[in-house]
Amino acid sequence: MDSLTALLEGFATALQPQYLLYALFGVFIGTAVGVLPGIGPAMTVALLLPLTYSLDPTGALIVFAGIYYGGMYGGSTTSILLNTPGESASIVTALEGNRMAKTGRGAAALATAAIGSFVAGTAATLALTFLAPGIARLAVQLGPADYFALIVVAFLTVGALLGSSVPRGLASLGLGLLLGLVGTEVLSGQQRYTFGVPSLADGIDVVIIAVGLFALGETLYVASRLRHGPVRVIPVTRGWRTWMSRRDWSRSWRPWLRGTAIGFPIGTIPAGGADVATFLSYATERKLARGEAKGEFGRGAIEGVAGPEAANNAAAAGVLVPLLTLGLPTTATAAIIISAFQSYGIRPGPMLFENQSGLVWALIASLYLGNVMLLVLNLPLVGMWVKVLRIPRPYLYAGILAFAGLGAYALHFNVLDTLTLLVVGVVGFLMRRYGYPVAPMVVGGILGPMAEEQLRKSMAISQGDLSYLVHSPFAIVAYSTLAVIVGLGMWLKRRKARLEASAPFPAEQPAQDAERVE
Amino acid sequence: MTESAPAPLDAQASGGAPPRGTRAPVGEYAFAAVCAALGVYAIIGAGFIRVPPGSASVLGPRVFPYAVGVLLVAASVAVIVQVARGRRGVPDDGEDVDPDAPTDWLTVAKLVAFFLTQLVLIEWAGWPIGVAVLFAGAAWSLGAKRWWVAVLAGLGLGLVTQLVFGAWLGLSLPAGPLLDWIPIFHG
Repeated sequence: MDSLTALLEGFATALQPQYLLYALFGVFIGTAVGVLPGIGPAMTVALLLPLTYSLDPTGALIVFAGIYYGGMYGGSTTSILLNTPGESASIVTALEGNRMAKTGRGAAALATAAIGSFVAGTAATLALTFLAPGIARLAVQLGPADYFALIVVAFLTVGALLGSSVPRGLASLGLGLLLGLVGTEVLSGQQRYTFGVPSLADGIDVVIIAVGLFALGETLYVASRLRHGPVRVIPVTRGWRTWMSRRDWSRSWRPWLRGTAIGFPIGTIPAGGADVATFLSYATERKLARGEAKGEFGRGAIEGVAGPEAANNAAAAGVLVPLLTLGLPTTATAAIIISAFQSYGIRPGPMLFENQSGLVWALIASLYLGNVMLLVLNLPLVGMWVKVLRIPRPYLYAGILAFAGLGAYALHFNVLDTLTLLVVGVVGFLMRRYGYPVAPMVVGGILGPMAEEQLRKSMAISQGDLSYLVHSPFAIVAYSTLAVIVGLGMWLKRRKARLEASAPFPAEQPAQDAERVE
Repeated sequence: MTESAPAPLDAQASGGAPPRGTRAPVGEYAFAAVCAALGVYAIIGAGFIRVPPGSASVLGPRVFPYAVGVLLVAASVAVIVQVARGRRGVPDDGEDVDPDAPTDWLTVAKLVAFFLTQLVLIEWAGWPIGVAVLFAGAAWSLGAKRWWVAVLAGLGLGLVTQLVFGAWLGLSLPAGPLLDWIPIFHG
């Protein structure tokens, strides 16, 4: 009941006209940028950070929540209407949604994605509302050794599970940890790896790492292998009122609920975030399909859009559980959100619900509001998103570069940050080029300093006794769960690989070919 | 997304060499070697971190850097071993990425060069000019059809961001000597 009162207070804050406007602005700009091809949720959040630099913390976080959810919504529109596979989280939407669009059912695909996202987003936010305070209360009792265990879990799952090769993931993690080391060390005040450059003494901002890897690195990579020629967007016909037939509804609602049930728990554990959840949901729907739907899978089954899209958004809300209650980012997007919190001097973690309860609940309330706004915005505005999709690519990527530059320079108004951004960007380009995942680097950059602090605190308590790290039941459970998660992750990954092998992407295979395979 | 990509794809991607194995993956070795070198640097550098005398903390400021260096070296060596055994990295996919195109290093170099102009131009000529040069240069490098559209769009973007972020949101972006005398750009 406690959290209900707090939530109502949160709504009271979030419903103030000025915050309502902030939320609307956030979801609008988040969707607009998320719709842009080649821009995933992480890049959306990283690029739009400068927008919040001059707002008050509550306003900034509300804008941010809107951008986060909006970016997730926007991605599905891209993958349904463009002919090519897109960002990882909504790639299975591309699989079925894109084929639905090709057969003239694009409107139904967009509608089931939007409504499914709304249903899943709302249900998952509800789960977040009731779970988070309890977890935070438990988390208050955790000691530094427990935190260290949690961080090690996050490191290894994000580093070893994301991407195709374990050593590449760990190398990426190591690069992030190294960047995190640069600067003045907190406990003894020593400078490390600063080359005596004063501006490096404050450390390298995670925003620079994120914008560099996602915006700059991605742009350089796309530029190196740009698809030339006209942009092919599948036209959407029919008015938005008649988008979904009664039959579409009856085929969609179960996948929405199943997707939510799959997405939320997977989002809360550090297992690669939305990516894994969408694939699991797709596999489930495919297996459960009966009759006519079974034959449609691979040629545009509405269940294959409804389920994964719901799972995607439920996982996005699930990611917020460890983020808000433990201060643990489990995806690159979450790492950027943490850095935004930190720039306001707010430290996410168990104390957040006590020290900043007004702020947290306003944030959670704005998630509910943002979901409603997205539903209202997305369906009628599809015509506009289609225009956004047609932006000529040279201008699109030139614009991304300009905003990346703005994000870096506006941090401290120092061109050295711009230079650091460029170096990180080139590294990000090379990493993509040679198949290294970039997310572990961002997570390493933000969690590295936290890991060191907790490790040194526990060593100070135990007077250097290493066994202190596993003295508490919680730490033991965490390390054994780690083993299970890694095992489970490997299994999920193999499943995903099998699924991909059995259902090739439209872009990599001509349509007739794919149909023959089916 | 990358794990299931067919084998020929990554062979083509590494510099457009036709089938796998005809050309050593120099770039992959080089990048992994640079990562390993950074790890070695982290280890050596850790030795030079000053440990304040008389500090009672058990774990000094050097231990964690040592661990990071070791992780980086170990992971990079493992990558090198994998590559040597024929397990190459699989380049990323993307909506605008042509999976069959060879890497166009020239375009990347042009983009990096135009981004570098920011270092000089932002403070010397002002933010709007800096953005205009970056935007127009990048769009031209990426194959924009009409260069003057790119220049005009770049100038427009520079002025709009200056107004929105500098004047309206209050970030202190330098307007530059050309615009500084106009009150609205003063922020």
